[in-house]
Amino acid sequence: MKAIPGFRLVHRAVLSASLTLALAAGAQAAESHGHGHAPDIGKPGQAAEASRTVTVTVTDNRFAPERIAVKKGETVRFVVKNEGKFVHEFNIGTAAMHARHQKDMAMMVEHGVLEADKIHRDKMKMDMGGGHRMDHDDPNSVLLEPGKSAELVWTFATDARLEFACNMPGHYESGMTGDITIGK
Amino acid sequence: MERTLSWLGWVAAAAILSLSAAAGAATHDLSIGRIPVDFSGAPATAIGVNGTVPGPVLRFKEGEELVINVTNTLDEDTSIHWHGLILPFRQDGVPGISFDGIKPGATHTYRFPAQQSGTYWYHSHSGLQEQEGVYGAIVIEPKAREPFRFDREHVVILSDWQDTSPKQILANLKKQSDYYNYSQRTVGDFFSDIAAKGLAATLEDRKMWGEMRMTPTDIADVSGYTFLVNGQNPDRNWTGLFAPGERVRLRFVNASAMTYFDVRIPGLRMTVVQADGNNVQPVTVDEFRMAVAETYDVIVRPMEDRAYTLVAEPMARTGMARATLAPREGMSAAVPAPRERPLLSMSDMGMAHEGMDHGATKEMDHGAMKGMDHGAMGDAKSDPFYAPGSGLLPKAADGGKFLSYADLKAQTPLYPQREPTREIELRLTGNMERYFWSINDRKYSEAEPIRLKYGERVRFKFVNETMMAHPMHLHGMWTILDNGSGRWNPAKHTVSIAPGATVYTETEVDAPGEWAFHCHLMYHMATGMFRKVIVEGAPQAARLGQGG
Repeated sequence: MKAIPGFRLVHRAVLSASLTLALAAGAQAAESHGHGHAPDIGKPGQAAEASRTVTVTVTDNRFAPERIAVKKGETVRFVVKNEGKFVHEFNIGTAAMHARHQKDMAMMVEHGVLEADKIHRDKMKMDMGGGHRMDHDDPNSVLLEPGKSAELVWTFATDARLEFACNMPGHYESGMTGDITIGK
Repeated sequence: MERTLSWLGWVAAAAILSLSAAAGAATHDLSIGRIPVDFSGAPATAIGVNGTVPGPVLRFKEGEELVINVTNTLDEDTSIHWHGLILPFRQDGVPGISFDGIKPGATHTYRFPAQQSGTYWYHSHSGLQEQEGVYGAIVIEPKAREPFRFDREHVVILSDWQDTSPKQILANLKKQSDYYNYSQRTVGDFFSDIAAKGLAATLEDRKMWGEMRMTPTDIADVSGYTFLVNGQNPDRNWTGLFAPGERVRLRFVNASAMTYFDVRIPGLRMTVVQADGNNVQPVTVDEFRMAVAETYDVIVRPMEDRAYTLVAEPMARTGMARATLAPREGMSAAVPAPRERPLLSMSDMGMAHEGMDHGATKEMDHGAMKGMDHGAMGDAKSDPFYAPGSGLLPKAADGGKFLSYADLKAQTPLYPQREPTREIELRLTGNMERYFWSINDRKYSEAEPIRLKYGERVRFKFVNETMMAHPMHLHGMWTILDNGSGRWNPAKHTVSIAPGATVYTETEVDAPGEWAFHCHLMYHMATGMFRKVIVEGAPQAARLGQGG
């Protein structure tokens, strides 16, 4: 695994096998944020088990490719590169999860944790109460400043209707999302 | 053999001809003339473009050379100005500044390249013809992909219509400045007041308010309008179709003569992606206010298989424009009741008289906005572009977020950020009693032109000493609004200055020639709130682009 400076958030998700079980449970908890039972959207995967690598190029405000087809149970390694001038997220989840996450990210912007083109990691430790965290360390997503890259490995052991999306304010509404079709 | 060769010759000639036609020039033909209309429920006469009000949507492609032939079938001069377009000044369409206007019976040909993309509009710059119907939208398709995507789009033109001729409206305003204001009285009320109280008492009553230069309800100086969406009144209910789940782009144009509209779609949030034709960092709101002449492009995503009502409520709450977004024709949704008329507060009052407390209005120095904590600007109870405690402070009808100028940040700045070379103060002034409006207490006919130097970056300080909001529009060059966003300050063509407010804008002076600069409230412009801007010192190469 390449060390990507500043991305210990992603490192935690993909590095050690012993964390996988905890993180599989975390994948469920990651979405719930105390909101209740989450749909099964798959789980973080092992890079060594990845059947292929998909490079996702992120611009303002768009993903390329715009749709991704996977097989059920397949493990895919995503290399996400932000070639835009603004902060973008690559987040795997259901439309409902994205809608909830948009509210969280809007709050992060309101509190100055995120700016349109900067991430203030030091401010992410803040606990705003009410079950809302200001950190952004869910294994099903990466958050990138302009020019940065990160990896995310995901095992699609699921039938859920998934989308990949950027939940920075206004981006999803501008169409910054794509379908993940899960075939047999 | 001979016949084959000559056949080939014809093919070659045809190919050469079509190549030259396709060499970037697109031709559009417009004809301006009187047409019968029925907007208010009674037949009336408007001036249409190609037989309609609004005129046709003009679709250009960024980069193409445009040839637009405009024919005048009226018995008075006319003109078309391309609002928000960057072009050589002789193509700008302002009689007395760009050209002599289009004489009755004549056809004038405009030629200029489309140098930008987005949503704009066109309108007459002659007399009061804009109020009579000479307006329409411009859509310029971009060369590069836009930073948003959508499945379909609709142009939504908001406008205001009166059966009374604009000349008569202006005469009424000159005779009696608050003719249309005092509790929204109609002609009938005026005459019944005279019958009840006598002419002297009625006029004295009006004069008293006039001397204070306000009544609390003086939000709009003309009422009695019918409000239109794409030329249709609320009963006709213009309908834009969608398939549930689609992202729909709505290109809103405020083509009215005098009306600020508060726009919302109950049940649908709107993501603003363009303001005045330029991409902005997307911001999702529940309602936004459009000053006269502004444009906003928003993305909506109606998920349900039902109709949604599109409400455009004038800021003065004098009526409502209404339309529908629906999956099929013939559907409608509930139309909300009109809201309470706002009352101007003391901080909205103009600084007309000595001895008045100007403290409240002086606090609006936007220079102080640099370095502000932007988190604090999300406070729903204030908007830095309105005087503190302003009665015009916008509030979202159904709760939620109301767009502020403070929310507009350029997606891709048009110019690098740099210090301005000088500052010019423009006090927005006027005399309600005699109904003329002015800048620095001088109307157009009494004023010197504003002279700018090519290559400078001028900072304008607008100080609104009146109790009306004024949408200020500089032709030919972008107006960069200082909303504290630094390099992301948005470039607009029209900036509204609220009563009692001070607003700063900057302009990179890069367009040689002479340009109009005025309040876009039509009767204000017509009575003097106007200046000519002369850009001097452009090098020869720059001036060669003037063409036409």
